[in-house]
Amino acid sequence: MAADIPVNTQLPGRGPVRLVLSDDLERKRLTVGFRWLLVIPHFFWLGIWGIGAFVAALANWLATLVTGRPPVALHRFLALYVKYATQVYGYFLLGAGPYPPFDGRPGYPVDVEIDAPAVQSRLTVAFRIVLVLPALLLAGALFGLPSTNSGSSGQLFSFSLGVAHVAAFLGWFVCVVRARMSRGLRDCVVWGVGFGAQLWAYLLVLTSAYPDPDPAVVLGELPRRSDPVGFEAGENLRRARLTVLFRLPLAVPHLVWLALWSVVALFAAVANWVATLAQGRSPAPLHRFLSAYLRYQAHVYAFLLLIGNRFPGFAGGAGSYDAEASIAPPHTQNRWSVAFRLLLVLPAWFLASTFGSLAWMCAFLAWFAALVTGRMPRRLLNASAQALRYTLQVSGYVLVLSDAYPYSGPSRQAAATSAPAAAESAFG
Amino acid sequence: MLAVLAALLAVCAWAWCAHEQWSTIVPAGLQIPHVDVHRFFSASLLRRSTSYERFLDVDGLLEMLAPVAVLAVYACRGQRLMRESAAGRIGTGILLALLGFALVWLSEVPFDLAALWWERRHHVVHEGYIAGLFGSFLGLGVSFVWIALAVALAMALAGKMRRWWWVVAAPLFAALALLSAFLSPYLITKTHPLRDPALVAEARTLEAREGVSGTPVLVQNLGRRTTTVNAETAGIGPSQRVVLWSTLLDGGFSRAEIGVVMSHEFGHVARAHVLKQVGWLALFLIPGMALVALATRRRGGLGRPEAVPVALFVFVVLELVTLPFFTLVSRRYETEADWSSLQATHEPAATRQVFQRLASTDLSDPDPPTWAYLLYAQTPTLAQRIAMTEVWEERGSR
Repeated sequence: MAADIPVNTQLPGRGPVRLVLSDDLERKRLTVGFRWLLVIPHFFWLGIWGIGAFVAALANWLATLVTGRPPVALHRFLALYVKYATQVYGYFLLGAGPYPPFDGRPGYPVDVEIDAPAVQSRLTVAFRIVLVLPALLLAGALFGLPSTNSGSSGQLFSFSLGVAHVAAFLGWFVCVVRARMSRGLRDCVVWGVGFGAQLWAYLLVLTSAYPDPDPAVVLGELPRRSDPVGFEAGENLRRARLTVLFRLPLAVPHLVWLALWSVVALFAAVANWVATLAQGRSPAPLHRFLSAYLRYQAHVYAFLLLIGNRFPGFAGGAGSYDAEASIAPPHTQNRWSVAFRLLLVLPAWFLASTFGSLAWMCAFLAWFAALVTGRMPRRLLNASAQALRYTLQVSGYVLVLSDAYPYSGPSRQAAATSAPAAAESAFG
Repeated sequence: MLAVLAALLAVCAWAWCAHEQWSTIVPAGLQIPHVDVHRFFSASLLRRSTSYERFLDVDGLLEMLAPVAVLAVYACRGQRLMRESAAGRIGTGILLALLGFALVWLSEVPFDLAALWWERRHHVVHEGYIAGLFGSFLGLGVSFVWIALAVALAMALAGKMRRWWWVVAAPLFAALALLSAFLSPYLITKTHPLRDPALVAEARTLEAREGVSGTPVLVQNLGRRTTTVNAETAGIGPSQRVVLWSTLLDGGFSRAEIGVVMSHEFGHVARAHVLKQVGWLALFLIPGMALVALATRRRGGLGRPEAVPVALFVFVVLELVTLPFFTLVSRRYETEADWSSLQATHEPAATRQVFQRLASTDLSDPDPPTWAYLLYAQTPTLAQRIAMTEVWEERGSR
């Protein structure tokens, strides 16, 4: 595995709201251990600042509606608020190590740059609160959002866990043990935090640029990895409206076939587990069968989630589909990691469930977009593909196709290699 | 010579099977007189039910013709959609078939919504438009599984056997229909066993009289969706059961009347009507599949995906053409079940009362026009059913 971008990253051309990341992944165990307590003053201050920001946002909305451009003073105040919120959440979710300043000054390891006020379409300003709704839904899956549930005792306040929060939860254990955050989990956190910054900037009328969940846009250039289980979405964004409209029922025969195949795959996985435990590597026939199963899973979900355009085949043939999973040939695996595979996979499973929610949310929004435009939005495709790639890696890990732990962070995939990537941490 | 002999034998076997399935316990040559519907139904109810049914008849006719038009266009242009598949020969054929039926569903949506609007307007159905549409959309997924399986089988056979695939495909499809009939009771939701001890006892007595002891009787909760009254027999062999709609038990019908309905359903069970209907389907599948094979030859046979849209068109046209025959068969079996019920219950008054009530609960037109009767009527008209009850009564008193 090689992350081919420097740790200090500031890339231009990523829209008017850019995440600036200069985190070295080092964490102090003490501050990590008490992070929930340490952040309380910041949340308190953020709440007070939020009251002022709410009033300023209303004034900014009105002024922009009238003049077509946010007033400089209001823009500066609100931009600072967004920067501060980004820093606080970056700290809280273990995206950065140092205690953040209380004034949102630049230079924090997880920071955001917001362009100077620019002319905005009055129409999009007027309906901003409505237009932001799809991005809010995405934020719920990527970052997590407060919500209410109807329980027996009435309305209950709750919080929907997004990818960033679950990554932070898992990252907490990693940091406590290793005094270092894993790159993958850190990138998950800042992906969510960065998208949140874009969302706030859009909602507060600081910019007219719609929030973009594409991890390459949020994070800048992504690390290129060559994991044993990889996934690449195709380049073709064209989608046939007819197959988009009926995507769900069209996928049902595939889902039934996949379920039947899963029954056989379950027995094959158990046999593969026993054989790998004994031999130290997966037997070729079992590896071939389970690889085909995993590829088919990738094809079906890519089709269902609109990552792929065409109707997939039923055999999981390599190279047969627009969006393809790459699976490395059998290689020597650590027997300890094989023996405790079901236990080891639990954290990844937990994270994969939130990635699943993200993929479904992207597909839900993309369905409407593709139906109208006949194209899959690039930003949703890339976010969704990352989510599917991670869930496939988790499946590959469970099926004992490789002992490389699923890499949680957004990445670009090089061709799968026979040797597993050197996992940066147990949680990748 | 051998081929002619085999063909003759096949025709004879076909005719014998048809004859066996056609026979019923209703006395041959039973003359059902035409009854004056005004004797049994008020003028206002007749007006209301006629107006209600006529709209649905016309809407239904358009709904039947729309898919034919859609599939005619699809047969010509559907092969263009092959580029949307990465699934190989059979997979592409499956996609084209699924898209064809998806278009059929789409063409039916306006008529379904119109029917729902009309039924809601007459307070016969309470289901909302979104729920109706969404439920129907999800139901499409279940149909797609069967369609995918059928197309995969047919195309695999056509790939191997070329022109004679239908000889094996017809019995295979009949087996699929049998499997579907067997599984169908398990897809009926919102059911519970009959709870009223008196009705349970009544059901046991009637089952014994009809010779079908042990048939489970379930109640399906549909009171929140509709006010119409119905019951059905579903399944084959161990899966066989009688399902009563909860609307039948909500107090509007007397115990004797409910007994008549249960007995009618036990009549279906006793005479194996579900199995016989699958049998008729099997008989028609043989020439039907042969015609599909013939029609798809110009596109290289059903082994090729581009032939699938043509096959769908031919299949739907055949379905439409044979519809009057299948409704005739259905009416014949319903008549037999009515007769069987009268024999078991000896309750002509309650039977007559059931039919009179059905006109008001379901707004069924007691005497529909001939074209609608031939196309849609799965049961004899209420007038015919009442007339047969009177004939049975007269025969009993003689």
